[in-house]
Amino acid sequence: MKKNGAISKWLAYIFLSVLCVIWIVPIIFGLMTSFRSQSEVVSSGFRLLPVDWIVDNYIAILENTSTAPILQWLVNSLFIAVSHTILVVMVVSLTAYGYSRLRFKYRDQLFFLLLGISMFPGVVNLIPSYKIIETFGWVNSPLAMIIPGLAGMGNIFLVRQFMKGIPKEFDESARVDGAGEFTIYSRIILPMIKPVLIVTGLFSFTGSWNDFLWPVIVYSDVEKMPITAGLLLLQDIYGNYRMIGQLMGSAFLAIIPTMLLFLFAQKYFVQSMNLNAGVKG
Amino acid sequence: MKKKANLKPILYIGPHLLLFIVFICLPTVYGIYASFTKWNLIGEPQWVGLDNYKTLLFDRSSTFHFQFTNGLKNTLLYVVLMVPLLIVIPLLISVALENKKIRFKSVFQGILYIPGLVSISAAALIWSLMFHSKLGIANNLFGLNISWASQQPFAWFLVIIVSLWGGIGGNMIIYRAAIAGISPDLYESAEIDGASSFRKFLNITLPSIKFPLIYTLVMTTAGCFNVFAQPLMMTKGGPKQSTHVLMMYIRTLAFGHGESIAGMASAMAVLLGLIILVISGFQYYVMNKNTD
Repeated sequence: MKKNGAISKWLAYIFLSVLCVIWIVPIIFGLMTSFRSQSEVVSSGFRLLPVDWIVDNYIAILENTSTAPILQWLVNSLFIAVSHTILVVMVVSLTAYGYSRLRFKYRDQLFFLLLGISMFPGVVNLIPSYKIIETFGWVNSPLAMIIPGLAGMGNIFLVRQFMKGIPKEFDESARVDGAGEFTIYSRIILPMIKPVLIVTGLFSFTGSWNDFLWPVIVYSDVEKMPITAGLLLLQDIYGNYRMIGQLMGSAFLAIIPTMLLFLFAQKYFVQSMNLNAGVKG
Repeated sequence: MKKKANLKPILYIGPHLLLFIVFICLPTVYGIYASFTKWNLIGEPQWVGLDNYKTLLFDRSSTFHFQFTNGLKNTLLYVVLMVPLLIVIPLLISVALENKKIRFKSVFQGILYIPGLVSISAAALIWSLMFHSKLGIANNLFGLNISWASQQPFAWFLVIIVSLWGGIGGNMIIYRAAIAGISPDLYESAEIDGASSFRKFLNITLPSIKFPLIYTLVMTTAGCFNVFAQPLMMTKGGPKQSTHVLMMYIRTLAFGHGESIAGMASAMAVLLGLIILVISGFQYYVMNKNTD
Protein backbone atom coordinates (compact mmCIF):
# COMPACT_ATOMS: atom_id res chain seq x y z
CA MET A 1 0.00 0.00 0.00
CA LYS A 2 2.73 2.43 0.99
CA LYS A 3 4.87 1.41 -1.98
CA ASN A 4 1.89 1.97 -4.26
CA GLY A 5 1.63 5.55 -2.99
CA ALA A 6 5.31 6.26 -3.62
CA ILE A 7 5.11 4.98 -7.19
CA SER A 8 2.08 7.08 -8.00
CA LYS A 9 3.78 10.10 -6.44
CA TRP A 10 6.85 9.70 -8.68
CA LEU A 11 4.72 8.98 -11.73
CA ALA A 12 2.85 12.20 -11.06
CA TYR A 13 6.10 14.14 -10.67
CA ILE A 14 7.56 12.77 -13.90
CA PHE A 15 4.37 13.39 -15.87
CA LEU A 16 3.97 16.94 -14.59
CA SER A 17 7.66 17.83 -15.02
CA VAL A 18 7.93 16.55 -18.58
CA LEU A 19 4.75 18.36 -19.55
CA CYS A 20 5.88 21.60 -17.86
CA VAL A 21 9.23 21.53 -19.67
CA ILE A 22 7.51 21.10 -23.03
CA TRP A 23 5.06 23.85 -22.09
CA ILE A 24 7.64 26.41 -20.95
CA VAL A 25 10.40 25.87 -23.56
CA PRO A 26 8.62 27.70 -26.41
CA ILE A 27 8.08 30.74 -24.21
CA ILE A 28 11.71 30.88 -23.09
CA PHE A 29 13.06 30.11 -26.57
CA GLY A 30 10.85 32.77 -28.16
CA LEU A 31 11.73 35.34 -25.50
CA MET A 32 15.48 34.67 -25.82
CA THR A 33 15.27 34.92 -29.59
CA SER A 34 13.82 38.41 -29.26
CA PHE A 35 17.15 39.48 -27.68
CA ARG A 36 19.31 38.02 -30.47
CA SER A 37 20.50 39.67 -33.64
CA GLN A 38 19.31 38.19 -36.90
CA SER A 39 22.85 37.07 -37.84
CA GLU A 40 23.19 35.24 -34.54
CA VAL A 41 19.86 33.45 -34.98
CA VAL A 42 20.81 32.29 -38.45
CA SER A 43 24.41 31.29 -37.77
CA SER A 44 24.60 29.92 -34.24
CA GLY A 45 22.19 27.03 -34.52
CA PHE A 46 20.41 26.01 -31.36
CA ARG A 47 21.49 27.76 -28.18
CA LEU A 48 19.20 28.76 -25.32
CA LEU A 49 20.80 32.03 -24.17
CA PRO A 50 21.83 34.82 -26.57
CA VAL A 51 25.56 35.40 -27.06
CA ASP A 52 25.14 39.17 -27.12
CA TRP A 53 22.01 40.47 -25.48
CA ILE A 54 20.55 43.19 -27.68
CA VAL A 55 17.41 45.29 -27.48
CA ASP A 56 17.63 46.47 -31.10
CA ASN A 57 14.66 44.27 -32.05
CA TYR A 58 12.39 46.03 -29.59
CA ILE A 59 13.64 49.45 -30.71
CA ALA A 60 12.98 48.48 -34.33
CA ILE A 61 9.48 47.23 -33.48
CA LEU A 62 8.54 50.42 -31.67
CA GLU A 63 10.01 52.65 -34.39
CA ASN A 64 8.18 50.94 -37.24
CA THR A 65 4.97 52.93 -36.87
CA SER A 66 4.13 53.06 -40.56
CA THR A 67 3.53 49.42 -41.51
CA ALA A 68 3.28 47.88 -38.03
CA PRO A 69 2.14 50.37 -35.36
CA ILE A 70 2.39 47.85 -32.56
CA LEU A 71 2.02 50.37 -29.72
CA GLN A 72 -1.19 51.61 -31.33
CA TRP A 73 -2.42 48.00 -31.64
CA LEU A 74 -1.69 47.37 -27.98
CA VAL A 75 -3.54 50.54 -26.97
CA ASN A 76 -6.49 49.49 -29.18
CA SER A 77 -6.57 46.03 -27.61
CA LEU A 78 -6.31 47.44 -24.12
CA PHE A 79 -9.15 49.90 -24.71
CA ILE A 80 -11.33 47.17 -26.22
CA ALA A 81 -10.61 44.57 -23.54
CA VAL A 82 -11.06 46.96 -20.59
CA SER A 83 -14.33 48.49 -21.83
CA HIS A 84 -15.70 45.10 -22.84
CA THR A 85 -14.86 43.61 -19.44
CA ILE A 86 -16.45 46.46 -17.47
CA LEU A 87 -19.62 46.25 -19.54
CA VAL A 88 -19.76 42.45 -19.28
CA VAL A 89 -19.61 42.59 -15.48
CA MET A 90 -22.37 45.24 -15.41
CA VAL A 91 -24.70 43.57 -17.91
CA VAL A 92 -24.16 40.06 -16.60
CA SER A 93 -24.75 40.91 -12.93
CA LEU A 94 -27.81 43.04 -13.71
CA THR A 95 -29.35 40.42 -16.02
CA ALA A 96 -28.56 37.48 -13.76
CA TYR A 97 -30.19 39.41 -10.89
CA GLY A 98 -33.30 39.85 -13.01
CA TYR A 99 -33.51 36.17 -13.90
CA SER A 100 -32.75 34.83 -10.44
CA ARG A 101 -34.19 37.18 -7.82
CA LEU A 102 -37.00 39.17 -9.40
CA ARG A 103 -40.41 37.59 -9.84
CA PHE A 104 -42.26 38.01 -13.12
CA LYS A 105 -44.43 35.95 -15.39
CA TYR A 106 -42.69 33.43 -17.70
CA ARG A 107 -39.33 34.37 -16.16
CA ASP A 108 -37.74 30.92 -16.33
CA GLN A 109 -39.41 30.10 -19.66
CA LEU A 110 -37.91 33.25 -21.17
CA PHE A 111 -34.49 32.46 -19.73
CA PHE A 112 -34.41 28.93 -21.12
CA LEU A 113 -35.76 30.11 -24.48
CA LEU A 114 -32.83 32.52 -24.79
CA LEU A 115 -30.42 29.83 -23.64
CA GLY A 116 -31.79 27.43 -26.27
CA ILE A 117 -31.50 29.97 -29.08
CA SER A 118 -27.96 30.85 -28.06
CA MET A 119 -26.98 27.17 -28.31
CA PHE A 120 -27.24 27.47 -32.09
CA PRO A 121 -23.62 27.61 -33.22
CA GLY A 122 -22.11 31.04 -33.82
CA VAL A 123 -20.89 30.24 -37.32
CA VAL A 124 -24.40 30.73 -38.66
CA ASN A 125 -24.70 34.32 -37.50
CA LEU A 126 -21.16 35.33 -38.45
CA ILE A 127 -21.99 36.83 -41.84
CA PRO A 128 -25.21 38.62 -40.78
CA SER A 129 -23.40 39.92 -37.70
CA TYR A 130 -20.90 41.56 -40.01
CA LYS A 131 -23.82 43.03 -41.97
CA ILE A 132 -25.32 44.47 -38.77
CA ILE A 133 -21.97 45.93 -37.73
CA GLU A 134 -21.72 47.49 -41.17
CA THR A 135 -25.24 48.96 -40.88
CA PHE A 136 -24.32 50.53 -37.56
CA GLY A 137 -21.13 51.95 -39.11
CA TRP A 138 -18.96 49.95 -36.73
CA VAL A 139 -16.58 48.43 -39.28
CA ASN A 140 -13.03 49.34 -38.17
CA SER A 141 -14.47 50.65 -34.90
CA PRO A 142 -13.73 49.32 -31.40
CA LEU A 143 -17.50 49.12 -30.84
CA ALA A 144 -17.55 46.06 -33.12
CA MET A 145 -15.40 44.25 -30.58
CA ILE A 146 -16.95 45.68 -27.43
CA ILE A 147 -20.72 45.45 -27.90
CA PRO A 148 -21.84 42.23 -29.70
CA GLY A 149 -20.05 39.98 -27.22
CA LEU A 150 -22.28 41.35 -24.44
CA ALA A 151 -25.25 39.43 -25.83
CA GLY A 152 -23.88 36.00 -24.86
CA MET A 153 -25.65 33.75 -22.38
CA GLY A 154 -22.78 31.70 -20.90
CA ASN A 155 -21.72 34.13 -18.17
CA ILE A 156 -25.30 34.98 -17.30
CA PHE A 157 -26.05 31.28 -16.84
CA LEU A 158 -23.04 30.93 -14.52
CA VAL A 159 -23.72 34.02 -12.42
CA ARG A 160 -27.46 33.28 -12.19
CA GLN A 161 -26.52 29.87 -10.80
CA PHE A 162 -24.53 31.52 -8.00
CA MET A 163 -27.22 34.09 -7.23
CA LYS A 164 -29.79 31.32 -6.86
CA GLY A 165 -27.59 29.86 -4.12
CA ILE A 166 -27.94 32.98 -1.94
CA PRO A 167 -30.76 32.52 0.60
CA LYS A 168 -33.91 34.61 0.00
CA GLU A 169 -33.81 35.82 3.62
CA PHE A 170 -31.13 38.35 2.74
CA ASP A 171 -33.37 40.26 0.31
CA GLU A 172 -36.48 39.84 2.43
CA SER A 173 -35.00 41.31 5.57
CA ALA A 174 -33.51 44.19 3.55
CA ARG A 175 -36.93 44.79 1.98
CA VAL A 176 -38.51 44.88 5.43
CA ASP A 177 -35.93 47.52 6.37
CA GLY A 178 -37.18 49.56 3.41
CA ALA A 179 -34.35 48.95 0.95
CA GLY A 180 -35.17 49.44 -2.75
CA GLU A 181 -34.50 46.81 -5.37
CA PHE A 182 -31.36 48.51 -6.69
CA THR A 183 -29.94 48.82 -3.18
CA ILE A 184 -30.45 45.09 -2.62
CA TYR A 185 -28.72 44.37 -5.93
CA SER A 186 -25.76 46.68 -5.42
CA ARG A 187 -25.25 46.51 -1.64
CA ILE A 188 -26.17 42.92 -0.80
CA ILE A 189 -25.97 40.63 -3.80
CA LEU A 190 -23.03 42.15 -5.69
CA PRO A 191 -20.54 41.92 -2.79
CA MET A 192 -21.54 38.29 -2.21
CA ILE A 193 -20.80 37.21 -5.78
CA LYS A 194 -17.58 39.19 -6.11
CA PRO A 195 -15.32 36.14 -6.69
CA VAL A 196 -17.42 34.78 -9.55
CA LEU A 197 -17.66 38.25 -11.09
CA ILE A 198 -13.89 38.64 -10.96
CA VAL A 199 -13.38 35.30 -12.68
CA THR A 200 -16.03 36.23 -15.26
CA GLY A 201 -14.20 39.50 -15.81
CA LEU A 202 -10.83 37.76 -16.19
CA PHE A 203 -12.19 35.36 -18.78
CA SER A 204 -13.86 38.25 -20.62
CA PHE A 205 -10.64 40.22 -20.67
CA THR A 206 -8.46 37.39 -21.98
CA GLY A 207 -11.21 36.26 -24.37
CA SER A 208 -11.52 39.74 -25.80
CA TRP A 209 -7.74 40.31 -25.89
CA ASN A 210 -7.14 37.02 -27.72
CA ASP A 211 -10.15 36.97 -30.05
CA PHE A 212 -8.94 36.24 -33.56
CA LEU A 213 -11.63 35.33 -36.10
CA TRP A 214 -13.89 38.35 -35.55
CA PRO A 215 -11.19 41.09 -35.65
CA VAL A 216 -9.70 39.54 -38.78
CA ILE A 217 -13.13 39.99 -40.40
CA VAL A 218 -14.05 43.39 -38.99
CA TYR A 219 -10.79 45.33 -39.34
CA SER A 220 -9.07 46.35 -42.55
CA ASP A 221 -7.69 49.66 -41.30
CA VAL A 222 -4.19 48.91 -39.92
CA GLU A 223 -4.28 51.82 -37.42
CA LYS A 224 -7.51 50.62 -35.77
CA MET A 225 -6.67 46.92 -35.41
CA PRO A 226 -6.26 45.07 -32.15
CA ILE A 227 -2.99 43.24 -31.60
CA THR A 228 -4.22 39.75 -32.62
CA ALA A 229 -5.14 40.91 -36.10
CA GLY A 230 -1.91 42.92 -36.24
CA LEU A 231 0.25 39.87 -35.56
CA LEU A 232 -1.28 38.14 -38.58
CA LEU A 233 -0.11 41.10 -40.68
CA LEU A 234 3.36 40.95 -39.14
CA GLN A 235 3.77 37.40 -40.37
CA ASP A 236 3.66 38.86 -43.88
CA ILE A 237 5.55 42.08 -43.13
CA TYR A 238 8.50 40.33 -41.43
CA GLY A 239 7.88 37.59 -43.97
CA ASN A 240 9.03 34.03 -43.59
CA TYR A 241 11.18 34.72 -40.57
CA ARG A 242 13.57 37.15 -42.19
CA MET A 243 13.30 39.31 -39.06
CA ILE A 244 12.81 36.69 -36.40
CA GLY A 245 13.87 38.85 -33.48
CA GLN A 246 11.26 41.46 -34.31
CA LEU A 247 8.60 38.83 -34.80
CA MET A 248 9.30 37.24 -31.42
CA GLY A 249 9.53 40.62 -29.70
CA SER A 250 6.12 41.55 -31.09
CA ALA A 251 4.63 38.27 -29.92
CA PHE A 252 5.94 38.95 -26.42
CA LEU A 253 4.63 42.50 -26.28
CA ALA A 254 1.24 40.96 -27.09
CA ILE A 255 1.50 38.46 -24.26
CA ILE A 256 2.66 40.77 -21.46
CA PRO A 257 -0.73 42.32 -20.51
CA THR A 258 -2.60 39.04 -19.99
CA MET A 259 0.45 37.62 -18.22
CA LEU A 260 0.52 40.57 -15.78
CA LEU A 261 -3.20 40.26 -15.20
CA PHE A 262 -2.80 36.57 -14.42
CA LEU A 263 -0.01 37.18 -11.90
CA PHE A 264 -2.03 39.97 -10.33
CA ALA A 265 -5.23 37.92 -10.12
CA GLN A 266 -3.78 34.50 -9.38
CA LYS A 267 -5.24 34.43 -5.87
CA TYR A 268 -8.74 34.83 -7.32
CA PHE A 269 -8.13 31.85 -9.57
CA VAL A 270 -7.33 29.82 -6.49
CA GLN A 271 -10.39 31.23 -4.74
CA SER A 272 -12.58 30.47 -7.72
CA MET A 273 -11.92 26.79 -7.12
CA ASN A 274 -13.92 27.07 -3.94
CA LEU A 275 -16.65 29.26 -5.37
CA ASN A 276 -19.29 26.67 -4.56
CA ALA A 277 -18.21 26.40 -0.97
CA GLY A 278 -17.99 30.19 -0.70
CA VAL A 279 -21.57 30.82 -1.73
CA LYS A 280 -23.21 27.95 0.09
CA GLY A 281 -21.34 28.49 3.37
CA MET B 1 -47.66 49.91 -6.84
CA LYS B 2 -48.58 46.96 -9.01
CA LYS B 3 -47.59 48.74 -12.21
CA LYS B 4 -44.18 49.50 -10.74
CA ALA B 5 -43.66 45.83 -9.96
CA ASN B 6 -44.29 44.97 -13.63
CA LEU B 7 -41.85 47.52 -14.99
CA LYS B 8 -39.00 46.61 -12.70
CA PRO B 9 -37.81 43.42 -14.46
CA ILE B 10 -37.50 45.35 -17.74
CA LEU B 11 -34.85 47.58 -16.16
CA TYR B 12 -32.78 44.54 -15.22
CA ILE B 13 -33.20 42.13 -18.12
CA GLY B 14 -34.16 44.69 -20.79
CA PRO B 15 -30.69 45.88 -21.86
CA HIS B 16 -29.43 42.35 -22.37
CA LEU B 17 -32.65 41.26 -24.08
CA LEU B 18 -32.20 44.05 -26.61
CA LEU B 19 -28.56 43.08 -27.24
CA PHE B 20 -29.58 39.44 -27.53
CA ILE B 21 -32.24 40.17 -30.14
CA VAL B 22 -29.97 42.42 -32.21
CA PHE B 23 -26.73 40.41 -32.04
CA ILE B 24 -27.89 36.81 -31.67
CA CYS B 25 -31.54 36.29 -32.71
CA LEU B 26 -31.56 38.51 -35.76
CA PRO B 27 -28.24 37.28 -37.23
CA THR B 28 -29.13 33.62 -36.63
CA VAL B 29 -32.48 33.95 -38.40
CA TYR B 30 -30.92 36.01 -41.18
CA GLY B 31 -28.06 33.53 -41.55
CA ILE B 32 -30.48 30.67 -42.07
CA TYR B 33 -32.47 32.77 -44.55
CA ALA B 34 -29.28 33.79 -46.42
CA SER B 35 -28.36 30.14 -46.91
CA PHE B 36 -31.33 29.84 -49.28
CA THR B 37 -30.18 32.79 -51.38
CA LYS B 38 -27.57 33.94 -53.85
CA TRP B 39 -25.96 36.91 -52.16
CA ASN B 40 -22.79 38.96 -52.61
CA LEU B 41 -23.06 40.81 -49.27
CA ILE B 42 -23.62 44.14 -51.05
CA GLY B 43 -26.92 43.79 -52.92
CA GLU B 44 -30.17 42.15 -51.89
CA PRO B 45 -30.13 38.35 -51.44
CA GLN B 46 -31.91 36.49 -54.31
CA TRP B 47 -34.00 33.53 -53.21
CA VAL B 48 -32.72 30.29 -54.81
CA GLY B 49 -34.32 27.71 -52.53
CA LEU B 50 -32.25 24.62 -51.88
CA ASP B 51 -29.74 25.28 -54.69
CA ASN B 52 -26.80 26.05 -52.38
CA TYR B 53 -27.38 22.91 -50.37
CA LYS B 54 -27.73 20.78 -53.51
CA THR B 55 -24.44 22.15 -54.84
CA LEU B 56 -22.59 21.65 -51.57
CA LEU B 57 -23.86 18.15 -50.95
CA PHE B 58 -24.25 16.57 -54.40
CA ASP B 59 -22.63 18.54 -57.25
CA ARG B 60 -19.31 16.72 -57.68
CA SER B 61 -18.18 19.04 -60.47
CA SER B 62 -18.43 22.15 -58.28
CA THR B 63 -15.47 23.64 -56.38
CA PHE B 64 -17.91 24.48 -53.55
CA HIS B 65 -18.67 20.78 -53.18
CA PHE B 66 -14.93 20.05 -53.01
CA GLN B 67 -14.40 22.85 -50.46
CA PHE B 68 -17.26 21.62 -48.30
CA THR B 69 -16.26 17.96 -48.29
CA ASN B 70 -12.53 18.67 -47.97
CA GLY B 71 -13.10 21.27 -45.24
CA LEU B 72 -15.49 19.00 -43.37
CA LYS B 73 -13.10 16.04 -43.65
CA ASN B 74 -10.22 18.11 -42.24
CA THR B 75 -12.38 19.64 -39.51
CA LEU B 76 -13.61 16.18 -38.48
CA LEU B 77 -10.05 14.87 -38.39
CA TYR B 78 -9.09 17.77 -36.12
CA VAL B 79 -12.08 17.11 -33.83
CA VAL B 80 -11.38 13.38 -33.61
CA LEU B 81 -7.71 13.98 -32.76
CA MET B 82 -8.15 16.96 -30.42
CA VAL B 83 -11.21 16.20 -28.30
CA PRO B 84 -9.82 13.07 -26.58
CA LEU B 85 -6.50 14.84 -25.94
CA LEU B 86 -8.19 17.97 -24.56
CA ILE B 87 -10.32 15.87 -22.20
CA VAL B 88 -7.80 13.22 -21.08
CA ILE B 89 -4.61 15.27 -20.60
CA PRO B 90 -6.23 17.93 -18.35
CA LEU B 91 -7.92 15.13 -16.40
CA LEU B 92 -4.57 13.36 -15.87
CA ILE B 93 -2.98 16.64 -14.77
CA SER B 94 -5.78 17.35 -12.29
CA VAL B 95 -5.53 13.87 -10.81
CA ALA B 96 -1.73 14.15 -10.59
CA LEU B 97 -2.07 17.54 -8.88
CA GLU B 98 -4.58 16.06 -6.44
CA ASN B 99 -1.89 13.71 -5.08
CA LYS B 100 -1.35 14.95 -1.51
CA LYS B 101 2.39 14.34 -1.57
CA ILE B 102 3.03 16.53 -4.61
CA ARG B 103 4.69 19.86 -3.85
CA PHE B 104 4.96 23.06 -5.93
CA LYS B 105 1.37 22.58 -7.13
CA SER B 106 0.83 26.23 -7.95
CA VAL B 107 4.06 26.31 -9.99
CA PHE B 108 2.98 23.30 -12.08
CA GLN B 109 -0.50 24.68 -12.46
CA GLY B 110 0.72 28.15 -13.38
CA ILE B 111 3.11 26.89 -16.07
CA LEU B 112 0.43 24.69 -17.62
CA TYR B 113 -2.20 27.42 -17.51
CA ILE B 114 -0.14 30.35 -18.83
CA PRO B 115 -0.24 29.31 -22.53
CA GLY B 116 -4.03 29.61 -22.29
CA LEU B 117 -3.50 33.35 -21.81
CA VAL B 118 -1.36 33.69 -24.93
CA SER B 119 -3.28 34.82 -27.99
CA ILE B 120 -3.34 32.22 -30.70
CA SER B 121 -1.59 34.53 -33.12
CA ALA B 122 1.36 35.01 -30.75
CA ALA B 123 1.41 31.29 -29.94
CA ALA B 124 1.48 30.42 -33.63
CA LEU B 125 4.44 32.75 -34.26
CA ILE B 126 6.43 31.16 -31.44
CA TRP B 127 5.64 27.55 -32.38
CA SER B 128 6.30 28.21 -36.06
CA LEU B 129 9.80 29.29 -35.08
CA MET B 130 10.25 26.21 -32.87
CA PHE B 131 9.51 24.07 -35.92
CA HIS B 132 11.10 26.26 -38.58
CA SER B 133 12.91 23.97 -41.01
CA LYS B 134 16.29 25.77 -40.72
CA LEU B 135 16.15 27.79 -37.48
CA GLY B 136 13.87 25.79 -35.22
CA ILE B 137 14.71 23.75 -32.15
CA ALA B 138 13.11 20.58 -33.45
CA ASN B 139 15.30 20.06 -36.50
CA ASN B 140 18.52 21.39 -34.94
CA LEU B 141 18.28 19.51 -31.68
CA PHE B 142 17.50 16.14 -33.24
CA GLY B 143 19.45 16.59 -36.48
CA LEU B 144 16.34 16.32 -38.63
CA ASN B 145 15.57 17.94 -41.94
CA ILE B 146 11.79 18.17 -42.02
CA SER B 147 9.73 21.00 -43.54
CA TRP B 148 7.14 20.75 -40.79
CA ALA B 149 4.56 23.14 -42.19
CA SER B 150 4.54 21.83 -45.74
CA GLN B 151 4.78 18.08 -45.30
CA GLN B 152 2.21 15.64 -43.95
CA PRO B 153 1.68 14.29 -41.33
CA PHE B 154 3.94 16.98 -39.79
CA ALA B 155 1.62 19.83 -40.76
CA TRP B 156 -1.13 18.23 -38.69
CA PHE B 157 1.31 17.73 -35.84
CA LEU B 158 2.02 21.49 -35.83
CA VAL B 159 -1.67 22.40 -35.77
CA ILE B 160 -2.28 19.96 -32.94
CA ILE B 161 0.68 20.88 -30.73
CA VAL B 162 -0.17 24.59 -30.82
CA SER B 163 -3.84 23.83 -30.08
CA LEU B 164 -2.94 21.56 -27.19
CA TRP B 165 -0.44 24.02 -25.78
CA GLY B 166 -3.04 26.75 -25.44
CA GLY B 167 -6.04 24.50 -24.90
CA ILE B 168 -5.43 22.25 -21.91
CA GLY B 169 -5.33 25.01 -19.27
CA GLY B 170 -9.01 25.89 -19.37
CA ASN B 171 -10.30 22.35 -18.91
CA MET B 172 -7.64 21.72 -16.27
CA ILE B 173 -8.99 24.61 -14.17
CA ILE B 174 -12.54 23.26 -14.45
CA TYR B 175 -11.52 19.74 -13.38
CA ARG B 176 -9.35 21.06 -10.55
CA ALA B 177 -12.29 23.04 -9.21
CA ALA B 178 -14.62 20.06 -9.51
CA ILE B 179 -12.21 17.60 -7.85
CA ALA B 180 -11.51 20.09 -5.04
CA GLY B 181 -15.23 20.07 -4.31
CA ILE B 182 -15.40 16.29 -3.66
CA SER B 183 -15.78 15.46 0.01
CA PRO B 184 -12.53 13.98 1.49
CA ASP B 185 -14.68 11.56 3.56
CA LEU B 186 -15.42 9.56 0.40
CA TYR B 187 -11.72 8.94 -0.22
CA GLU B 188 -11.00 8.20 3.42
CA SER B 189 -13.65 5.51 3.69
CA ALA B 190 -12.43 4.02 0.40
CA GLU B 191 -8.89 3.92 1.80
CA ILE B 192 -10.11 2.07 4.89
CA ASP B 193 -11.64 -0.49 2.53
CA GLY B 194 -8.21 -0.83 0.90
CA ALA B 195 -9.14 0.62 -2.50
CA SER B 196 -6.27 1.29 -4.94
CA SER B 197 -5.68 4.75 -6.43
CA PHE B 198 -7.08 3.54 -9.72
CA ARG B 199 -10.25 2.20 -8.06
CA LYS B 200 -10.71 5.48 -6.20
CA PHE B 201 -10.38 7.39 -9.46
CA LEU B 202 -12.87 5.11 -11.21
CA ASN B 203 -15.45 4.83 -8.43
CA ILE B 204 -15.25 8.20 -6.69
CA THR B 205 -13.54 10.89 -8.79
CA LEU B 206 -15.11 10.18 -12.17
CA PRO B 207 -18.76 9.89 -11.00
CA SER B 208 -18.38 12.99 -8.81
CA ILE B 209 -17.28 15.21 -11.70
CA LYS B 210 -19.91 13.92 -14.13
CA PHE B 211 -21.40 17.31 -14.89
CA PRO B 212 -18.10 19.14 -15.52
CA LEU B 213 -17.08 16.22 -17.75
CA ILE B 214 -20.23 16.48 -19.87
CA TYR B 215 -19.87 20.26 -19.95
CA THR B 216 -16.23 20.23 -21.09
CA LEU B 217 -16.87 17.44 -23.60
CA VAL B 218 -19.74 19.30 -25.27
CA MET B 219 -17.98 22.70 -25.19
CA THR B 220 -14.62 21.32 -26.35
CA THR B 221 -16.19 19.44 -29.25
CA ALA B 222 -18.16 22.50 -30.39
CA GLY B 223 -15.03 24.63 -30.03
CA CYS B 224 -12.94 22.20 -32.09
CA PHE B 225 -15.51 22.27 -34.93
CA ASN B 226 -14.92 26.04 -35.10
CA VAL B 227 -11.15 25.65 -35.47
CA PHE B 228 -9.71 28.36 -37.68
CA ALA B 229 -6.73 30.33 -36.37
CA GLN B 230 -4.32 27.44 -35.75
CA PRO B 231 -4.26 26.00 -39.29
CA LEU B 232 -4.46 29.49 -40.81
CA MET B 233 -1.35 30.67 -39.00
CA MET B 234 0.66 27.45 -38.81
CA THR B 235 0.15 25.92 -42.26
CA LYS B 236 -2.05 28.33 -44.25
CA GLY B 237 -4.23 25.28 -44.91
CA GLY B 238 -1.50 23.39 -46.74
CA PRO B 239 0.07 21.25 -47.97
CA LYS B 240 -2.38 20.78 -50.86
CA GLN B 241 -5.32 21.98 -48.72
CA SER B 242 -4.88 19.02 -46.38
CA THR B 243 -5.24 21.23 -43.29
CA HIS B 244 -7.75 23.62 -44.86
CA VAL B 245 -10.69 23.50 -42.43
CA LEU B 246 -14.33 24.40 -43.03
CA MET B 247 -14.21 27.73 -41.15
CA MET B 248 -11.35 28.88 -43.41
CA TYR B 249 -13.47 28.19 -46.51
CA ILE B 250 -16.49 29.92 -44.96
CA ARG B 251 -14.48 33.03 -44.15
CA THR B 252 -12.83 33.17 -47.57
CA LEU B 253 -16.13 32.70 -49.44
CA ALA B 254 -17.84 35.43 -47.41
CA PHE B 255 -15.07 37.98 -46.84
CA GLY B 256 -12.14 36.91 -49.02
CA HIS B 257 -10.73 38.74 -52.01
CA GLY B 258 -12.97 39.04 -55.03
CA GLU B 259 -16.74 38.92 -54.96
CA SER B 260 -18.38 37.63 -51.83
CA ILE B 261 -20.39 34.41 -52.14
CA ALA B 262 -22.17 34.91 -48.84
CA GLY B 263 -25.20 32.73 -49.68
CA MET B 264 -23.04 29.67 -50.29
CA ALA B 265 -20.91 30.49 -47.24
CA SER B 266 -24.10 30.73 -45.14
CA ALA B 267 -25.26 27.33 -46.37
CA MET B 268 -21.89 25.88 -45.36
CA ALA B 269 -22.21 27.58 -41.98
CA VAL B 270 -25.74 26.21 -41.45
CA LEU B 271 -24.59 22.68 -42.32
CA LEU B 272 -21.63 23.01 -39.95
CA GLY B 273 -23.97 24.44 -37.29
CA LEU B 274 -26.39 21.53 -37.68
CA ILE B 275 -23.56 19.02 -37.34
CA ILE B 276 -22.38 20.72 -34.14
CA LEU B 277 -25.91 20.80 -32.73
CA VAL B 278 -26.61 17.13 -33.49
CA ILE B 279 -23.28 15.98 -32.04
CA SER B 280 -23.59 18.15 -28.91
CA GLY B 281 -27.13 16.88 -28.34
CA PHE B 282 -26.05 13.29 -28.87
CA GLN B 283 -23.09 13.65 -26.46
CA TYR B 284 -25.26 15.22 -23.82
CA TYR B 285 -27.92 12.53 -24.18
CA VAL B 286 -25.50 9.58 -24.07
CA MET B 287 -23.42 10.92 -21.18
CA ASN B 288 -26.49 11.78 -19.16
CA LYS B 289 -28.07 8.40 -19.73
CA ASN B 290 -25.06 6.19 -19.13
CA THR B 291 -23.89 7.75 -15.91
CA ASP B 292 -27.19 7.86 -14.04
